[in-house]
Amino acid sequence: MAIVYNWQLGRTMSYWYPEHRPQRQYAAVFDLNKCIACQSCTLACKTTWTSGKGQEYMLWNNVETKPYGSYPLAWDSKLLEMLGPQTWKDGKYLGRTIFEAAPAGERVLGWRPDDYDYAFPNTGEDDCAGQVERGLALNLPHAVWFFYLPRICNHCTYPACLAACPRGSIYKRPEDGIVLLDQGRCRGYRECVKACPYKKVFFNPLTGTSEKCIFCFPKREQGLQPQCFVNCIGKIRLAGYISVPESANPDNPIDYLVHVRKVALPLLPQLGLEPNVYYIPPVHVPVRFLEQLFGPHVQTAVQTYLNAKDDPDLAGLIQLFGCAEKIVPRWKRQNDWIIGMEEDGAEIVRVPLREPVFERPLFDERFQVARHNCP
Amino acid sequence: MWKLRLPLTVLVGAAIVAGGCRRQAVAPPPQEIQVLMVKELPTDPTDSIWGQTQELHIPLLLQDLVEPRLLQPSTPYVAVRALYDGHRLAFRLEWEDATENADPGIAAFSDACAVQLPQKVEAVLPAPQMGEKGHPVQITLWKAVWKKGPLFEKGIQAVYPNAAVGHYPFQAASLVPGSTAQEEMALRYAPARRLGNDVASVPEKGAQDIVAEGPGTITPVQKNSQAQAVRTPRGWAVVIVRDPPEGFSPDSGTHVAFAIWDGAHQEIGSRKMRSAWIPLRVVSNQ
Repeated sequence: MAIVYNWQLGRTMSYWYPEHRPQRQYAAVFDLNKCIACQSCTLACKTTWTSGKGQEYMLWNNVETKPYGSYPLAWDSKLLEMLGPQTWKDGKYLGRTIFEAAPAGERVLGWRPDDYDYAFPNTGEDDCAGQVERGLALNLPHAVWFFYLPRICNHCTYPACLAACPRGSIYKRPEDGIVLLDQGRCRGYRECVKACPYKKVFFNPLTGTSEKCIFCFPKREQGLQPQCFVNCIGKIRLAGYISVPESANPDNPIDYLVHVRKVALPLLPQLGLEPNVYYIPPVHVPVRFLEQLFGPHVQTAVQTYLNAKDDPDLAGLIQLFGCAEKIVPRWKRQNDWIIGMEEDGAEIVRVPLREPVFERPLFDERFQVARHNCP
Repeated sequence: MWKLRLPLTVLVGAAIVAGGCRRQAVAPPPQEIQVLMVKELPTDPTDSIWGQTQELHIPLLLQDLVEPRLLQPSTPYVAVRALYDGHRLAFRLEWEDATENADPGIAAFSDACAVQLPQKVEAVLPAPQMGEKGHPVQITLWKAVWKKGPLFEKGIQAVYPNAAVGHYPFQAASLVPGSTAQEEMALRYAPARRLGNDVASVPEKGAQDIVAEGPGTITPVQKNSQAQAVRTPRGWAVVIVRDPPEGFSPDSGTHVAFAIWDGAHQEIGSRKMRSAWIPLRVVSNQ
């Protein structure tokens, strides 16, 4: 075991390999306030990558309803229970990571799902926490709530799958940090399936190898965002590159959201993988629940997001989500316009801070027809 | 005085016990595998010729040296017999395993066994744990799941009989069944097969040959090893026929090691029961 620094934990931790960050880390921000669980992302991924034999059950991208949804079954609650207390103090994690909690003979604390655990791909869909009682009113957070959690591989800085593979069949690309599983080398031991806490490695029983999300690396190599991003009709996703906190660049959309405004948070940071998909937490959900999923900075993130209406930079950047197929590595706001740019400043896309509103007369004189805005 | 007598009594008792043991003792079990020289090697574990060989019960150890380790023991021993026809070695492995794990599945693990030999006969043996850099070992692997045949061709119903699939891309109307274009489309979604990964296919002769220079280094090689298995009332009997190490002769002998995986215990890869190196000596039929 080596000692590495995990900035999401605010401390060093043990990991199977020494710290070796890629030249650039491809990353993403998902705005959970905008996800409607239409599963367009799921289908986009499925049709692109996992339509083959033995891949039938695989969902490299899935969207589940929290608090009850999970795919595979109880992927999160089972491990959290195994891990024990997960306490934070002043932004520093005091508990154990899954590397530090690894039992004797193992590299990682993990569990391997059974066939049955994959039998309910959208269990808990739209089930809310609690019952709607008389007298309830809409306040924040909601007394009765659920939200959608879209998930892909987190292309972690410290991947548990990579650490667990005894053959070194999993590697992290130096040029963009994408975590890939070598299909020519894998022998189907499924140590990665067991180790990945997010359960985003799947075993193909017909080829005898494990397979996982590839972050659409052929698209990234062409400067394009992944399939699940560009097919998202809710425009909740933005792909880009993240820096380490000390090198954060406010002109970089991901850095701005994660490091500068701290409005986007990692999923289960306490596990210690330094995941690179960040979530803007849903503002209507009790913070206590969200802290378990996204760490100790939820309250600040929620408040920042709620203030976005008076925060043209943040509101503007959120408008940029899903507006271009190209990866947008730079951005700026010019008055009421948000401009997404290439690294060299060339404009990729321009969106208004607020969509213009048009009011049309109730009666259309030209066509002699009454119009109204309600269905 | 009794203080003196007590040890004396113990000594006398111990001598009687020891003497009794000596009187009742049979010849100690051989600590080497005696390989019988024959004209023709059988591949069938039930062939009567195996009855002419000496069986050696080899205790198995936990693979607890490198992660991921096996910490709960499963298969305690493997009974081994061996034959040699002047060209190839045949091993018959028999072990107890109450559950037959030969079905594929997302969370299923196959019963399996392996025979390991040094790459060549030399004075210094490779490390028994998968060899070492510069001192490779050659391994022949058998898996129970291969009994099910080539799964990819059979499809997901071979694993989950009630599975229903609406459509695969290679079933598009524009692709002629059996055409190269159709196979190309199928391979797009089966990268392990596209890359020729040997785990994605079932070996023709029931065995896979690999070489290794330490844990985590196994590499498939093209050899001509064979394996045949039968389910016994108490477990498995498997015959593995393979080439001997380079430089092997009836006079040189060699060493051999074995590994057993119990699928019911989710044993796979380095999670296995394994033996130390066992000396192997060719003998003639008396």
